[in-house]
Amino acid sequence: MLQHLMRYADCISSRVSRHDFLYLFTLDIPVHSARFKRKSTSILLLWLCFVTLILSACGREPLYHSQSYVFGTLVDISIYGEQADRAAKLAGVIQQDFQRLHRKLHAWDEDSDLSRINRAFEEGRRVPVDAELASLILQAQRYSSQSDGLFNPAIGQLIGHWGFQRDMFKPVSIDQEAIRRLVNANPQMTDIQLYETSSGIEIESQNPFVKLDFGGYAKGYALDRAAGYLRSEGVRNALINIGGNVIAIGMRGGRNWRVGIQHPRGSGAIASLELEDGWAIGTSGDYQRYFELDGKRYCHLLDPRTGFPAQHTQAVTVLLPPGDHNGTLSDVASKPIFISDDSHRSEMAKRLGVDHYLIIDANGSITASAAMKQRLKWKSDVEVHTIP
Amino acid sequence: MLKSIPFLDWFQGLKWGDGLVLLAGIGIVLILFKTLWLTESASKVQIRAGNEIFTTQSLNQQRTLDIPGPLGTTVVIIDHGRARVASDPGPRQYCVKQGWLKQAGEVAMCLPNQVSVELLGNSKPYDTLNY
Amino acid sequence: MTDNRQAIFTATRDDHHIAKLAALAIGLHLVEAALPTPLPGVKPGIANIVTLFVLYRYGFGTAAWVNLLRVFAGSLLLGQLFSPTFLLSLGGALGSLSILALAIHLPKQWFGPVSLSILAAFAHISGQLLIVWLWLIPHSGVIYLTPVFALAALIFGLINGLILMWLMKQA
Repeated sequence: MLQHLMRYADCISSRVSRHDFLYLFTLDIPVHSARFKRKSTSILLLWLCFVTLILSACGREPLYHSQSYVFGTLVDISIYGEQADRAAKLAGVIQQDFQRLHRKLHAWDEDSDLSRINRAFEEGRRVPVDAELASLILQAQRYSSQSDGLFNPAIGQLIGHWGFQRDMFKPVSIDQEAIRRLVNANPQMTDIQLYETSSGIEIESQNPFVKLDFGGYAKGYALDRAAGYLRSEGVRNALINIGGNVIAIGMRGGRNWRVGIQHPRGSGAIASLELEDGWAIGTSGDYQRYFELDGKRYCHLLDPRTGFPAQHTQAVTVLLPPGDHNGTLSDVASKPIFISDDSHRSEMAKRLGVDHYLIIDANGSITASAAMKQRLKWKSDVEVHTIP
Repeated sequence: MLKSIPFLDWFQGLKWGDGLVLLAGIGIVLILFKTLWLTESASKVQIRAGNEIFTTQSLNQQRTLDIPGPLGTTVVIIDHGRARVASDPGPRQYCVKQGWLKQAGEVAMCLPNQVSVELLGNSKPYDTLNY
Repeated sequence: MTDNRQAIFTATRDDHHIAKLAALAIGLHLVEAALPTPLPGVKPGIANIVTLFVLYRYGFGTAAWVNLLRVFAGSLLLGQLFSPTFLLSLGGALGSLSILALAIHLPKQWFGPVSLSILAAFAHISGQLLIVWLWLIPHSGVIYLTPVFALAALIFGLINGLILMWLMKQA
């Protein structure tokens, strides 16, 4: 071996040139021609380039994915096509904004801005409110009237009575009398008045029983904010999931983002669909926040007219095309449709501007609007009724 | 350059055995893809605690894992192709009630203790779950 | 290890030649080290072109020598001696050499360089994956990457073989 190495060194020092290395493949017969040398070099180089290309295609994908616990729920942010550290920074900003909103809009934390306003309502006082909260309330008023009061964030007292303003849901003994009283108090979004003054905006409620709970609203709002922020930062491809509400930006590499829809009674998805640029999807279901009493399930989706949870449906999913505030609408719109009964559903959907929706009722039967049915890919063979 | 490479010469150099080996190679590749890649069954389980990935494990083992969280310890059991949350300090126990996760894409989330258990397969059926 | 040479030319010339081939093999090994790969350290084995050429020209003993020299010297030059990457290269080299020791006995009129190249490539990645699975990352789902690597072995083995055939023809 030493002999070989010495001769090798010898050879190198003497005359190995760029073309000579191909000499190696031709024994010791002097190479045919310069053309051959070039050919062989080119072929080997071409081969090396090809290999490099193939291998670099197998490299890592530029997908950044973070999961965090904000808003009392799971927040899932995927950013595609950005440098990892930039994506991490952007996701961090979004998570911080969510924390801020969570603290501000907390329905039962005494220190939140919302609680401060609720206390003022109870005491009949007029207090100042900031622009963000004011516009949230204005929008909620609009949605409430659009849905005939089925979307009603003013029924905080009723929600609290059922025990859903806690982290833990214990079965609550049903006090028919108390519930009737709370329903009759009839807190409505229309009871709230906003005033523009020289120093800012002020707010008061005509009805002391109004207590705001933005449980079915804040996540959608946060979704719109996050999507708007990412777009303004030049992000072209992302997927944001806040507690199950999802909005999509762009695509994931060469294909659309794919979203699975949770099976209301099983783990895993019952169906999936493609979420194109700007589309948002939201679901209201009886399987996340509920308790069971005497074999019956009581979920957090209350019918403001009766004061009782809607018990005829397992889940409603709505899909919204790109538009202003469609993230918010994806959170808001599923509730009135969930609470409505069968005969009024399609009308309610139309009023809210929802063309794509999916309903799974208490027996597990599945109905979907024609537009929605086209987009759904089912996990297993199921019977799907269509709403005309 | 390409014009001067005698392609026919190349093919004359190829022999029957070469073709055989090539076909066998293709066969092996196809079998491997069919058995290992196109199955829907999950191959790995990914456990997240808080905002970090706590661990990613193969599903082909029998193992119990303790995951620390703000409320206490969540216990996850991996059992040859399936995984489940055995116990969790959270109040609602939804993640425990979910039972065995068997397919890629299935997730059990213990929100209060900030632990999530997800089954990963080779192809994810969807990028995120709406619920 | 220099026992299989056809004594047409003087030993010195052949030594010279083999040394240059070894240098080429090491060079290719270094280039390969710079290429990206889905699983770190697992490489397609471009340097096998040289190993196979040496096998045909000088026999198995010399080929084994050149191949192992490439692994050791290459790893030394990269500062990776006895690191996991070195182990993987060694695993791959030993794998392909074992197969070649057997394959060299295949009748030449039926099996040309392409066969040997493909067989060597498969043995190469098998050796590497075995080392990953047994030592480096046990209990992992690396088995699920096998199809990709098998495909790579097939493609690179085939092309390596074709290039080798062409180069040898020119000689």
